[in-house]
Amino acid sequence: MVAANMDDQGCPRCKTTKYRNPSLKLMVNVCGHTLCESCVDMLFVRGSGNCVQCDTPLRKSNFRVQLFEDPAVDKEVEIRKKVLKIYNKRDTDFPSLKEYNDYLEQVEDIVFSLTNNIDVENTKRIMEQYQRENRDIIQRNKARLTREQEELEELLLLEQQGSEQRRLETLQEEQRQLLAKKKNKQALLDELESSHLPATLLLAQHKNRAAQLDTQIEMQRQIVKPPVFSTGIPVGQTISLQPVAHLQEALYRYHPLHIETYGPQVPEFEQLGRLGYLNHVRATLPQDVAGGYSSGLACHRAVQDAFSALFLVPH
Amino acid sequence: MYHNSSQKKFWTFENEECLEKLRFQSNQKFRAKVRGSGKELKGLDESSFLNPFEEDVLFRHYERRLLEFCANFKPVMPKSVVGTAAMYFRRFYLHNSVMEYHPRIIMLTCAYLACKVDEFNVSSSQFVGNLPETAAGQEKALEQILEYELLLIQQLNFHLVVHNPYRPLEGFLIDLKTRYTTLENPEMLRKTADDFLNRATMTDAGLLCSPSQIALTAVLNSASRAGITMESYLAECLGLKDDKETLCKMIDLMRRIKNLLKKYELPNSDEVNMYKQKLERIHAEFVNTIPTGNTGPSFMEIMPSPQSLAAETFKAMHHHCRS
Repeated sequence: MVAANMDDQGCPRCKTTKYRNPSLKLMVNVCGHTLCESCVDMLFVRGSGNCVQCDTPLRKSNFRVQLFEDPAVDKEVEIRKKVLKIYNKRDTDFPSLKEYNDYLEQVEDIVFSLTNNIDVENTKRIMEQYQRENRDIIQRNKARLTREQEELEELLLLEQQGSEQRRLETLQEEQRQLLAKKKNKQALLDELESSHLPATLLLAQHKNRAAQLDTQIEMQRQIVKPPVFSTGIPVGQTISLQPVAHLQEALYRYHPLHIETYGPQVPEFEQLGRLGYLNHVRATLPQDVAGGYSSGLACHRAVQDAFSALFLVPH
Repeated sequence: MYHNSSQKKFWTFENEECLEKLRFQSNQKFRAKVRGSGKELKGLDESSFLNPFEEDVLFRHYERRLLEFCANFKPVMPKSVVGTAAMYFRRFYLHNSVMEYHPRIIMLTCAYLACKVDEFNVSSSQFVGNLPETAAGQEKALEQILEYELLLIQQLNFHLVVHNPYRPLEGFLIDLKTRYTTLENPEMLRKTADDFLNRATMTDAGLLCSPSQIALTAVLNSASRAGITMESYLAECLGLKDDKETLCKMIDLMRRIKNLLKKYELPNSDEVNMYKQKLERIHAEFVNTIPTGNTGPSFMEIMPSPQSLAAETFKAMHHHCRS
């Protein structure tokens, strides 16, 4: 998508552009024409008025901030939202794919006609008729939609809760480990104070306990280790460092290209000068040489043509 | 080069009988077409068709017209373009009958296409400016040329590169000057050899042998006219000293080419007029009634060419053109 130049989009009335007023917001209404925020406030101070360009009666509340460069697109988006509120059948509601596609085509035709102001009356009538006929289906689908949305929300919530819980758990784990270490230290100090055992023995015991704690922590961490590396190789698979088996193939031999000319042999291009051919062609002018032409080219071509298929006789 | 060209593969035939047969077949094909489309009698019957001899007379007449047109062309048309145009004309009427497509238009279309293929840049208005007609007549002719162009390309089977004997002739002259020192001034052979080649374009020689062979025949012919024998050239320089068999075959072939040239007759103007009248009648009567199918527009009506044919044609041209 091409980035809109700040200077391009402008209000059709006051001609202010985004370049001059960066916080300018363009608003679109149901007729598809744009106005900047300040113009909207000015013109629709009484709440309703007529569009500047097409004179359709409009309400201030119908103005929405323009999301797209082309106001026609915004208009269509609005129309589509409204249409789809009514035409909300799904693919499961149709017995065959073709009918679903026909239905979708219908919807598109309606959106198109409304957007381009073709036959608006007729289209609105069709819409109303459809609404009347399919009232219950529309209701059902609306309900379904809300249900689905709720389900989605629940799932999201669950996920969030799950991740929260996990976070809390890890935090608690860490806390516990810290606590355990502290306790150990404290225990050592207490024992050094009160116990009758020699200091070295106490130290050794302490060290043991600390080591045990560490291994415990490690083990807990181990459980969380993933079974595969990010590339997909399972952890623990031994990669052999043996050399790869050497594939024996036939070595390529170069054979120069040979084209049968059915005629006598033509002298080589490089030999033409030496053999004296070039004395009998027109010498090159300096202008020709500049372009890369040399008299040998014409000479060689003529001789090649003279000898080509010279000995070829039909049976 | 000629030895791996489409001309050698597809447009070089074994003998004159093959060519005669092809022309006879196209004649028959046209008759069958007319018969099959439910001919309205209007006093016309089998005898109103042209037979191969009459077709040949008309062909030669229009061929001369083509060569005259190219000779009087402004700006001066290079010989290779003329040769290419004549070859197109000849090839076209191998597989098509003069009764089906009038040679008057096909001749101009051949020249036009040859200019394009040989990169002799002439705008279409410049081209029709060479016609002896009013501006309106020239416009109409141009329209007709453009209509028939795709048909022509299709009937040439998209083999558009034609190898003419003019460059081989130059090659032989260069080679003679370089290696064959017994001959003092090969340049004097040029004029008669050129004339020989021009006469050869009016025969089937181009469809039967390679252009280098035609050029060699031209050189040897003009040498013998001047009273010089060049047997030693063949033996020494072309390395045929030891290869007697090929040497014999070559000499035989050159004799055949000379015969072809000798056999050529100028078309008799009375005959030509008579057959022309017949041809006009056929075109007026039959060509309108034949369903056009996909072989191009009928002569009298100006119908736009089918778009799909145009698209396919240009795609295929890119593949087949350069060979």
